[in-house]
Amino acid sequence: MSGGSPVVIGHPRPSAAGPLRDVLGRLGVRRVAVVDGDGLAQAVAEATADPPQLLLLHAGLPGFGPDLLVGLREMAQLRDVPILVLGRFASGSRRAELMRAGATDLLARPLTLAELAARLSVHLERRRLDRSLQEVIRSLHAYHHGAMQRMALARQMQLGLLPDAAACRSLEGRYGIAMDSHFESSSELGGDLWGARPLDDRRFALFLCDFTGHGVAAALNTFRLHTLLARTDLPADDPAETLRTLNGLLVGLLPEAQFAAMIYAVVDVSADRLVYATAGAPKPLVRQRDGGLEVGPSCGLPLGLAGGARYRNHSLDFPPGSTLLLFSDALYEARGWDGEMFGYGGVTDLVRGLGDDELERPLDLMLDRYFATVPRLLADDLTVLWISRSVGPRSGPD
Amino acid sequence: MDYTVHDSGTLRELEMRGQITFEADTDFRTILGEWETAGIADCVLNLSAVDYMDSAGLGLLVMANNAARQAGITFRLKHPRGQVRDLIEISEFHTIIPCEF
Repeated sequence: MSGGSPVVIGHPRPSAAGPLRDVLGRLGVRRVAVVDGDGLAQAVAEATADPPQLLLLHAGLPGFGPDLLVGLREMAQLRDVPILVLGRFASGSRRAELMRAGATDLLARPLTLAELAARLSVHLERRRLDRSLQEVIRSLHAYHHGAMQRMALARQMQLGLLPDAAACRSLEGRYGIAMDSHFESSSELGGDLWGARPLDDRRFALFLCDFTGHGVAAALNTFRLHTLLARTDLPADDPAETLRTLNGLLVGLLPEAQFAAMIYAVVDVSADRLVYATAGAPKPLVRQRDGGLEVGPSCGLPLGLAGGARYRNHSLDFPPGSTLLLFSDALYEARGWDGEMFGYGGVTDLVRGLGDDELERPLDLMLDRYFATVPRLLADDLTVLWISRSVGPRSGPD
Repeated sequence: MDYTVHDSGTLRELEMRGQITFEADTDFRTILGEWETAGIADCVLNLSAVDYMDSAGLGLLVMANNAARQAGITFRLKHPRGQVRDLIEISEFHTIIPCEF
């Protein structure tokens, strides 16, 4: 059990160390090196690659004293090795001095071999447990490091599902909008997904989806949805039909009690209208140019629950100067520092409060104010989309 | 979450209190486990004293509904209030689990 690393015995007369060797042998130590005062330095130097599991020094060793112990302890390979001193100690102050200098324990003679075996056994066992613990910690560190790297890569992949800055700028130019988004997972990976894509020169589609739960399982579902949305046979210009089709595809794909809340909207900048359908998603919010707020209706079974679910299209005015705000439920279900839920009313107050600031992209300001009342460690994934229609003429092709 | 059981013949009414979130998972599994042994035919979840439910809570309702169906038990909801009612209406849960508003 205590085989492996050697035990080094420093003894003034190595030939007289037989009984010590025997005791260690009976304790299962297979490698014992006995050295005298001169040999100690060399034994320690050789220990760099193979540190001893224990050092047993006879107090009669030439040169033995506190300075020797201090010197040994300064060597990196001996820093954690138990150093036991066997001898007769003149006084309590001498014993204290040796302990301070680095001795792990003092084995005061006279001492029976049985006692010696018991004392050595305790130290060898402790050393063994310490090494095992170090090994466990090292392997946990390695696992953690690897897991963090894999998570970071997965997170990059998840962020890659979202429209990038170039795609957003392109939509902005083409449809005369300003678009801003916030995507924040409550852990490394999240269960939210949003996207926007052009349909034709006057219409683009927009969606925000929130799978139940968060973390890895929810994130895997966002990849599923992203793949389904890439299908070209989706009725992309009909929100209710798109949700019905996606629901049909997700039922049977998602495990029991996993589903997705989703809003899918088609913005028509020629008709100044927004048509959308929801599947258990929060009600969309439109701020008109005069500051008035309109809360759109929302009803529909979350996706993935029932095969035959039907969805309804709703329509909201969305003229130039107005703003559409879509968000996942984390925005209003989060609890403030006071423990109270932020609430949908909190969201409308927040948007109303931005009225006088005349910013084209007020999302950062809105979230700064939000996080002044809600602790940053969210319990759920948060996505917020802010789309404003510009008042001036569109810069893109018509 | 916390709940009280009222039995009347083969009808069991569970009066739920507090919040139905992911943390209610263990309680729900206990509730479902007890159906089998108690000889229940109908189960009503009274939600009037539940002040908050999230999507994980909706997931527990789905799980309970499926378990009830498999056990041949009728399962319904009753009297959701405030945020819980909003959530059930937005999610149209009353179309898959009968709900008395």
